[in-house]
Amino acid sequence: MRRAFVEDRESGSVTSWQGSSGRRTDEWSECLTLIASKEDRAAFTRFFRHFAPLIKAFALSGSTMSATHADELVQEVMLKVWQKARGFDPERAAASTWVYTIARNCRTDMFRRLQKFNTPLAAEDFTPDQEPAEPFAMLQTRRSRDRIHELMASLPPDQAQILAKVYMEGKSHAEAAAELDLPLGTVKSRVRLAIQKLQIQIDR
Amino acid sequence: MAKFHPDIDLLTEYAAGIMPLAQSACISAHLNYCPQCQRQTARLQDLGAVLFEGLTPEPVGEAQLEAVLARLDEQPPLSYSRAGSVAGGRLPALLQRLMNGDFSELVWKKITSSLRISYVKTGDPNYEFALYHIKAGGRIPEHKHRGSEMTLVLQGGFSDAAGSYHEGDFIYRELDDSHAPTALQTEDCICLAVLDAPLRFTGWQYRWMNSFLQLRAG
Repeated sequence: MRRAFVEDRESGSVTSWQGSSGRRTDEWSECLTLIASKEDRAAFTRFFRHFAPLIKAFALSGSTMSATHADELVQEVMLKVWQKARGFDPERAAASTWVYTIARNCRTDMFRRLQKFNTPLAAEDFTPDQEPAEPFAMLQTRRSRDRIHELMASLPPDQAQILAKVYMEGKSHAEAAAELDLPLGTVKSRVRLAIQKLQIQIDR
Repeated sequence: MAKFHPDIDLLTEYAAGIMPLAQSACISAHLNYCPQCQRQTARLQDLGAVLFEGLTPEPVGEAQLEAVLARLDEQPPLSYSRAGSVAGGRLPALLQRLMNGDFSELVWKKITSSLRISYVKTGDPNYEFALYHIKAGGRIPEHKHRGSEMTLVLQGGFSDAAGSYHEGDFIYRELDDSHAPTALQTEDCICLAVLDAPLRFTGWQYRWMNSFLQLRAG
């Protein structure tokens, strides 16, 4: 633990990549399992204290959402965490990916509500019917996640910036291009380059 | 297994949740036919999670925690159950839901002797979401696209100058690509098409129809 802490300090990066050690991630998986099996409010409270500030940061990044809506989103996501914990499978996904997906879906739904979309669909309905569950693929997914963590620090700032715009601020490629005053092609190629560097693309 | 896939740009937009609703529905439907793209999407979502964990936390007050704790006993909202729909066949549950059943329950509009179109409501104000039924061996007259078009083969298959497509295959075309798809001889073809501008027939015999092909978004 101590060593991990020192490394964090030494890297001196703007953002610290918490959760990069397996131990931490497991702590949150355990919380979810306790919530699911025992409706454990203490575990939920721990989970809230860690993730609610991240969800709020996610809601506020891009600054298109008001503080009131950001608080509303935090509540909505955390309530879903409680209600859906039984669907969490630690073998399939990391707790943070699971929460991120809920947060992303809730944000999409909130934006659509605010834009008065008249749709029968919620963002979570877009999840494919059955997800592949081969153990080998899952092991690879875990490795790929660790690798993304490690490689993130070496990403050139312009590529990291675009990823943040697209993923955290929820800007489309075209919106990101307009905001950064870059040609659309440049934005797309930076995203693609970043994905290559992080070794996310699967060879076909 | 599908041979034609959305590229990494489209999958990234989908995974990041920044893709328009109608297009997302089309990608999601393709994922049902394609474990490979599902895995790719999962990885792209992992990237989102890594970025999420790296955010600088924004303080959240105790009052917020109290408010959520007080709501934990609420009944969760009813969510759409997928169980019943899977029995209906191989069609992705999302599509069955938008169609309120299967192809037979749709209202089909005859465009030419071999082409019928059914418009499906998604609620996306900018994109038309339609099913195309092409008779076996039938040809859609040569046409262009003013905007973008996503196509997903749901049944049978078709071919054009660029290739031959079967169930689960995904094709994306942009601006002013002109083509004349022909359904395979053996079976009627049903495709999903998501457009942000109406198609335009280019042959003189069919051009008169263009004024009837308004974009039906919504």
